[in-house]
Amino acid sequence: MLDVFTLFLFNIIVYNIPLLYGTTGEIMIEKSGSLNLGVEGTMAIGAVVGYLAGAKTDSLLVACVVSFIASGLVGALFSFLTVTLQANQNVTGLTITTFGVAFYYFIGNALSNSAGGWPKLNGTAFDLQSQPIHIPFISDIPFVGKAIFSHGILVYVGILIAVLMWFYFNKTVPGLKLRAIGENPAAADSLGVNVTLYKYTHIVIGSGIMGLGGLYMGLNLGGAFEGSNCWINGYGWISIALVIFANWSPAKALLGTLIFGFFNTLRVQNAALAYAFPDALGWLTKIPSHFFSALPFIITLIVLIISSLTSKGRSGEPQAIGRNYYREDR
Amino acid sequence: MEYAIELKGISKSFGPVAANKNINLSLAKGEILALLGENGSGKTTLMNMLSGIYMPDSGSIFIEGKKVEINSPEDSGKLGIGMVHQHFKLVEKFTALENIRIGIRNEGRFFHGADVRKKIEDTAAKFGFDIDLDKKVANMAVSEKQTLEILKVLCYGAKIIILDEPTAVLTVQEIDRLFAVLRKMREDGHSIIIITHKLNEVMAISDRVAILRHGEYIDTVVTKETDEKTLTELMVGRKISLNIDRPIMEKTHPLLEIRDLTVKNDEGAIAIDHINFYIRGGEMLGVAGIAGSGQKELCEAIAGLRKIEEGQMIHEGESIVGMSPKKILEHGISMSFIPEDRLGMGLAPSLSITDNMILKNYNEAKGIFVDRKSARVEAQKVIDRLEVITPSTETPVRRLSGGNVQKVLLGREIKSGPNVLVTAYPVRGLDINSSYTIYNILNEEKKKGVGILFVGEDLDVMLELCDKIMVICHGKLQGVVNSNHTTKEEIGLMMTGTINIVNKDGKTDGIAKDSAFTDEEGKA
Amino acid sequence: MRKYHLVRRADAQLKRTLIYYAIGILVSLTIGAIILAALGINPFEYYGRMFSIGLIGNRYGYKSIEGLLKIFVPLLITSLALSLSFKMRFWNIGGEGEFLIGAIAASIVAFNCSGLPNFVTVLLMCLAAMISSGIIGIAVAALKVKFNTNETLMTLMLNYIMLYVIRYLGETKADWNFFLEEESERPIFGTFPESAFMGGIPIGPFKLLWSVIFAILLTGIVYVYLKYTKQGYEISVVGDSSATAKYAGMSVGKIVLRTMFISSALIGLAAALTVSSAGTISDTITNDVGWTGIIVAWLSKLSIPAVFVTSILISILQYGCQAAATQYPAIDINYADLLQGLILFSVLVADFAANFRIVRKEDAKNA
Repeated sequence: MLDVFTLFLFNIIVYNIPLLYGTTGEIMIEKSGSLNLGVEGTMAIGAVVGYLAGAKTDSLLVACVVSFIASGLVGALFSFLTVTLQANQNVTGLTITTFGVAFYYFIGNALSNSAGGWPKLNGTAFDLQSQPIHIPFISDIPFVGKAIFSHGILVYVGILIAVLMWFYFNKTVPGLKLRAIGENPAAADSLGVNVTLYKYTHIVIGSGIMGLGGLYMGLNLGGAFEGSNCWINGYGWISIALVIFANWSPAKALLGTLIFGFFNTLRVQNAALAYAFPDALGWLTKIPSHFFSALPFIITLIVLIISSLTSKGRSGEPQAIGRNYYREDR
Repeated sequence: MEYAIELKGISKSFGPVAANKNINLSLAKGEILALLGENGSGKTTLMNMLSGIYMPDSGSIFIEGKKVEINSPEDSGKLGIGMVHQHFKLVEKFTALENIRIGIRNEGRFFHGADVRKKIEDTAAKFGFDIDLDKKVANMAVSEKQTLEILKVLCYGAKIIILDEPTAVLTVQEIDRLFAVLRKMREDGHSIIIITHKLNEVMAISDRVAILRHGEYIDTVVTKETDEKTLTELMVGRKISLNIDRPIMEKTHPLLEIRDLTVKNDEGAIAIDHINFYIRGGEMLGVAGIAGSGQKELCEAIAGLRKIEEGQMIHEGESIVGMSPKKILEHGISMSFIPEDRLGMGLAPSLSITDNMILKNYNEAKGIFVDRKSARVEAQKVIDRLEVITPSTETPVRRLSGGNVQKVLLGREIKSGPNVLVTAYPVRGLDINSSYTIYNILNEEKKKGVGILFVGEDLDVMLELCDKIMVICHGKLQGVVNSNHTTKEEIGLMMTGTINIVNKDGKTDGIAKDSAFTDEEGKA
Repeated sequence: MRKYHLVRRADAQLKRTLIYYAIGILVSLTIGAIILAALGINPFEYYGRMFSIGLIGNRYGYKSIEGLLKIFVPLLITSLALSLSFKMRFWNIGGEGEFLIGAIAASIVAFNCSGLPNFVTVLLMCLAAMISSGIIGIAVAALKVKFNTNETLMTLMLNYIMLYVIRYLGETKADWNFFLEEESERPIFGTFPESAFMGGIPIGPFKLLWSVIFAILLTGIVYVYLKYTKQGYEISVVGDSSATAKYAGMSVGKIVLRTMFISSALIGLAAALTVSSAGTISDTITNDVGWTGIIVAWLSKLSIPAVFVTSILISILQYGCQAAATQYPAIDINYADLLQGLILFSVLVADFAANFRIVRKEDAKNA
């Protein structure tokens, strides 16, 4: 009985931590004043490049580093186009997504059809390093231990990133300057803050973080490449939605991930739950799974609309988001 | 004696326009210097060079006796200069403390230190600032925001403080508090420049007064040894003869009558305060006043672009209060306002001249199509008549240089054949010849029997061009005078609020003898 | 770098812009060629096959044209629709969602009106699609006008919601679900009745669908609308400066709502024409046209003639890749997306070069 719930909670975390990576990465980028619609593509590139590097060197660490760098480079491209070349942020982001996902499929297909085939995950050291870990005593606590304290290392890294980011934004000097840029870049500029440098740095770092989330997704799915379904599977878009839901706060992002994860996992596990508790939860199977899939977007749409009706709701949204800053236009 | 700032021979031009001509200015250590001058006198340009936004074409700047080059706002800050602008540079969502923290030189500091907060609190206490450091800027009143800007500048180590029209947004009590702070700062050894045009404040707070006029430096006088009348004379100078035509027409009954008009500005403060005036056909009424006295709001109210709080506006016997801009145009009132950036209002920058011509009456064409053919003809007429320099009628307006934009705008307004023409700053930034072209056009309209409201900056021009001149100061009517029977000094004194002659000699200015209002209506 | 300074050019000449664009496109094609070479494929052969869309040496050449047109028609109409929206600076990225709503509405008509004559059925499908998509467009625009809700994020959410709606329809076997093939055990979308199929003019073995002719006519209509009508004039003024529009007495809110209705309705129309030509609906019916349309509109700088040309070129790119895939199975259709992305990136750089100049800081000081 308890096992079903334990598994449920376990899965919420496992399958939805990538959302946390995507969301916190995008929060960092949006705090600097840019709306980056290229999350899906960035995660795809980070995933496939990181995975391949990890498979080649049989090391999770290498995979993470390469993934971060690759998606960081994508971020650098976005920065170059929007900050230096003053290109429209929406168009640039969308192109990165189209390009990134296409790149993912392209590389995947090319390798799958090549002599060596697609590098497999099973049994390699690379694989083991990302598997759920066992902490003596803590992991053995009934229910909670299994559900929360026996995850793969990337789960804890993701949570750590969210916590550190919250701390960074709210308690440090560079974090303050970054927020100032997102709100009023002209004011920050006049106070001697190097707007260009800050934007570049944070877009690159944010993109790198997203890439790690993509890598994690790939590993979660067993590292198998499918020609028809991208590993990322829309999580990039959900992350963008989650940023709004979390009111641009990394701490709330953690909460938001869990809530969305709840519904997401419900979609997958509703049958199991209904089977275990036919009287109480039998009705779960009647709800179409598509509804659960659509739920993150429906909720975010409602949140968007309600928060624009009341001025308080959008308190977290950086005021200057989406607009390119050009000093001479002052 | 070592001066905090010395400017020697500073000149700066923007294209053909010379904003500053060979200016010599000095600011003594530990003094409050008022910088006085009309609009277009070059005050802001000069100060912008001290704050690193512009670079002088020639001349030198000395800070504490040393020659310096100020290439950026950062350089300015490093030299100990801090400017408090008219438009605040604050992040609304942050607290006061956070706003100051953004700019503090923290030598690679990563975490906020408690010592920084202490330093800020000490500075605030030292100068008697009453400020809540944890209050969000969005929740602050305007005076609190200004206090924050001043505190900010002090925390960054500024020894020289420049304030640009600081009292424009303050109440009387807040002004007193500000002055108390400034005096404290002076005691502490800071040197202060205050840009203003309010003579009473100049007299109250400054040690010396420097006057600029038309880009040139006039003189610096010791405040204790002068008075408002003298300052006004220095500010406006002697009348220059310009030889502008002023045809005398037979005037009609009042075409437009304004009673008790009260209008608020965007920030919610009163911009126009119970004004009365009227315009007759065949008459040109000038509106004189320091910038920001409510001219923009007045024009917008008449054109139907701004809601009015109180008052009446009657045109040709009908009240136009609450009418849409379109209806007011159809009624026969046309308004053109040239803002400082000259492209802002009334023109669509990316559209061609032709397309801008039909902006107000495109709907009159029959059917669903726009009538560009006749618009092109109209555009060509305007180009010919006003000598607009442009490659063609299809050139996008934003590619036109300077004054040509205004010519197009005015040409369009006149084209609609109004009987009341409201035009604000039509010759802003224009060279002499173009300006005269504009004056001639206006006179031709006047000869046709059109009533013209001319809002302008240059008193010499208005004295020659306009039949009568009304003066507003802080939204209040200070008087309406006949150009033949007044002096530049009198107008200057009214502009600065020093004198008010609305109810002189038993008659009330702004109310016509043959007014359409009855006595009761008029009193509203 | 400190000595240099970026300054906006006073005017961006058309010739210079086009030349830079051409250079940019050549550069991306070159990069694409390098990628091909890295995979052991002769780029010239591949490009040759791609750009001739498989017509050479093909007995069934007309099928290539048909395939190309099937991509071209929805792309053209969607790009036109998005241009209208973007002209008003209304960032509608919900092309996918609006397309799906239109497709579903048209399919409802198709499946339920089998008795009517062909022309009437197709007309009703179009109307149903246009109205449903149009309503969504107005709703989003109304929220933006009244409450300043971010339209980019709203339309993004709608895309995903609609995607799951159509997947639901396609995967749920139930009595009420007339969308599905009755005889099949597994849920698959059914084929439309004959009356809902798009007709055309037979030219030999080739069938020129009415939708193609209509799409081309529509381009002309939209062009005239924007350039010569009062409403088109209003759109250009509002897009240029809403303050000026208000000053001119235009009702900006009304214009935004009206234009968004038209824009979304056009996307719905594209959907109706697509499902009618295909004779069925599916969850991949959009073929990502909502996204590609944005790129086409942007590349064309919202100029209608350019939209027409760019749509053709991008369609050739996409279909050509499909056609080339038969001979070069190692390169899948994603290559087209890659090239598209490269082209857009290089055009963005070219755009920048055409609009900005690098000057020495000394000269800029006196600007």
